[in-house]
Amino acid sequence: MNPLILTILLFALGLGTTITFMSSHWLFAWMGLEINTLAIIPLMTQHHHPRSTEAGTKYFLAQATAAAMLLFASVTNAWLTGQWDILQMSHPLPTTMITLALALKIGLAPLHSWLPEVLQGLDLTTGLILSTWQKLAPFALLLQINPTNPTVLIMLGITSTLVGGWGGLNQTQLRKILAYSSIAHLGWMALILPFYPSLTLLALLTYLIMTLSTFLVFKLNKATNINTLAISWSKTPIITTLTPLLLLSLGGLPPLTGFMPKWFILQELTKQNLPLLATFTALTALLSLYFYLRLSYSMTLTMFPNNLMGTTPWRFFTQSTSLPLALSISMAIALLPLAPAMMALLTP
Amino acid sequence: MLKILLPTLMLVPTIWVTPAKWLWPTTLAHSFLIALTSFSWLKNFSETGWMSLNKYMATDALSTPLLVLTCWLLPLMILASQNHTSAEPINRQRMYITLLTSLQFFLILAFSATEIIMFYVMFEATLIPTLIIITRWGNQTERLNAGTYFLFYTLAGSLPLLVALLLLQNNTGTLSLLTIQFSDPILLSTYADKIWWAGCLIAFLVKMPLYGVHLWLPKAHVEAPIAGSMILAAVLLKLGGYGMLRMMTVLEPLTKELSYPFIILALWGIIMTGSICLRQTDLKSLIAYSSVSHMGLVAGGILIQTPWGFTGALILMIAHGLTSSALFCLANTNYERTHSRTMILARGMQMVLPLMTTWWFIASLANLALPPLPNLMGELMIITSLFNWSWWTIALTGTGTLITAGYSLYMFLMTQRGPIPLHITAIEPSHSREHLLIFLHLLPLLLLILKPELIWGWTF
Amino acid sequence: MVNFVALAREHWVNILVPMGFVIGWYLDKQQDQKLTAFRNKSVLYSRELKPGEEVTWK
Repeated sequence: MNPLILTILLFALGLGTTITFMSSHWLFAWMGLEINTLAIIPLMTQHHHPRSTEAGTKYFLAQATAAAMLLFASVTNAWLTGQWDILQMSHPLPTTMITLALALKIGLAPLHSWLPEVLQGLDLTTGLILSTWQKLAPFALLLQINPTNPTVLIMLGITSTLVGGWGGLNQTQLRKILAYSSIAHLGWMALILPFYPSLTLLALLTYLIMTLSTFLVFKLNKATNINTLAISWSKTPIITTLTPLLLLSLGGLPPLTGFMPKWFILQELTKQNLPLLATFTALTALLSLYFYLRLSYSMTLTMFPNNLMGTTPWRFFTQSTSLPLALSISMAIALLPLAPAMMALLTP
Repeated sequence: MLKILLPTLMLVPTIWVTPAKWLWPTTLAHSFLIALTSFSWLKNFSETGWMSLNKYMATDALSTPLLVLTCWLLPLMILASQNHTSAEPINRQRMYITLLTSLQFFLILAFSATEIIMFYVMFEATLIPTLIIITRWGNQTERLNAGTYFLFYTLAGSLPLLVALLLLQNNTGTLSLLTIQFSDPILLSTYADKIWWAGCLIAFLVKMPLYGVHLWLPKAHVEAPIAGSMILAAVLLKLGGYGMLRMMTVLEPLTKELSYPFIILALWGIIMTGSICLRQTDLKSLIAYSSVSHMGLVAGGILIQTPWGFTGALILMIAHGLTSSALFCLANTNYERTHSRTMILARGMQMVLPLMTTWWFIASLANLALPPLPNLMGELMIITSLFNWSWWTIALTGTGTLITAGYSLYMFLMTQRGPIPLHITAIEPSHSREHLLIFLHLLPLLLLILKPELIWGWTF
Repeated sequence: MVNFVALAREHWVNILVPMGFVIGWYLDKQQDQKLTAFRNKSVLYSRELKPGEEVTWK
């Protein structure tokens, strides 16, 4: 792609999210989301490949539906209450509609089915943008509207953790697995949103760090399916050693970073007198853990000469810079002792 | 506290920068020094019962024996692993010792935590190194299955425990072990409280393991390399018993009624797993099932909540930790020579490795609880307190003891006595390393006869 | 003549674990003193020390 066009598109991508962040008016928020969507679609289809075209189309349809629904809901809100302010949502009907629209935008189950398909059609860099940066603007809006009825978000959250765990079980493609992992994590965030929004922010932050490092690891190894991972030990031995920890951190095993949001979310749920919900959600995390564990098995824990399914590629010295990966992977593994600091940072 | 923890941490850079030829001697010497230093915990002269107190950690009479056992096991694991990792590249050997060290680090933090959530986090943290040891360094493909069983059994039990602990914190406002027994008794009457009771205990019962949720243990033991089996049998199972002993004070009024099914399962499990041992052909599997059987006795002793039961449980945990670890080491000496765990392939070993037979003999006798070994002391205290609780338990515990004696004898006769088969006449002689390894297992066991109050726990 | 430089180069790593012990022992001692000060202030635990008894918590 022409560097000038790429720069403009990336700038628009940033601009859209920033407009949504800054707006207090629904129309501007909607506009930011639309700019954002329209900027990423050329990035998605930059490789002329049937899968990426399919991904672009599907993404466009899903996002357009969500944006239209959002616009419709805000117009309804203006009609019912006479104002466009994001922070002043009072009527349950537009609030629920907006929640559902944003759920479709970020891919919360049961409105999730576009996400694995779209992510599978993208290259890893665009996939990284889709599963990190693109979640920010919708979450900014979700955190600002004040849901009058927590049931919608709880149902969305529970379904997402369940579907995210379940759907990933029989996948062999890494990007689809990451999509389902994203759905499961988003479920945790949606679940705690009505009770303690700072924890949503914390969960989002740790999810971003962990997903960033996972994508960077896969990008470094040029791995898009489980079989390619099995030969990563010949390319990047140290990263191969660290990746099980990263994956188990995504799965939320103590004492790794991924346990921190889960721990606090469970604590808040028990404080809200919802222990059954907490136990059920905690147990659905086991489903996701299963496929992370399977990835670690094939990547690190069954090394040569045990696994002969893949052929070893030629080794070249990798040219890409590894500083972001080093930083993000150490944060993704060892942030749990800093939990009080993180909470202090994120609690208003 | 830190005077053990910091050297354990410093062991990691030592492992990575020490010259390759000095790797095993250096790590062995240093871990052994740490183990010797840890004996200073055994001298308990505090007024409050809590020693080596700092903000997050402390030791008391219950945790000290387990802590010392943990520290004692690291040099033994290093000794035991030297041979089977010798074919691997040096960095993998270093990685392996690092994993063992990290396990000791997490276990010290778990046993000495003064906060139950801290204990929980460290209890879970031990899963990761153990999982990697089992699935990375195991020998067969089934190890992946074993790793999955290990992880998911433990987590399925312990995630409800986390929620139960958080609920407890909501009720009492604290989870500090130093003060929780002084907090107001919580009113436990509803149906939900009974589920809460189960949530508090099931994680530990899975870890113990109780008969019925024990399937992960034989798999993990059979597939793990020797160090994994040793630490699993010696210390990781004891995390379950330790956690139960700690939680029992909080669960006070409910346990009396609710523990019946679990006591029945524990006692029935002694007989069932003992019988499984009697028809076992796989040596490591036999020792693993014998662990389940002994742990059933421990679970029973803890669940009836008498001082004798608690003390017996702690004594049996320590004694069984040393004994089963020694048995796994002995099984491994056979395995390294015949490359098979099948007992029938390595019989009549007395003819070729006579000194090893002595060790087998002592370890088998310890396993069947010969007087005056601490194993007997523990079993006797548990059986007595169970008998005092209900006369009928003697039928189960007595039969269990008989079966234990039976399979220990079976194991000894099968591996050591009789004519030697032709295919093992030319096996490698035993090394001093192996003799030292077994001796260091049995020495504390024999010395504990002289001063058993070190492992009596709160009662002393 | 023993080559001390070579010995030091080969065996300097052996200092790490004892160093950890010394630092840990020092920190433990600090902690003990802190807690002792606390104990001697508390009504429940403060007492006359026996002759020759060390002023520490342990």
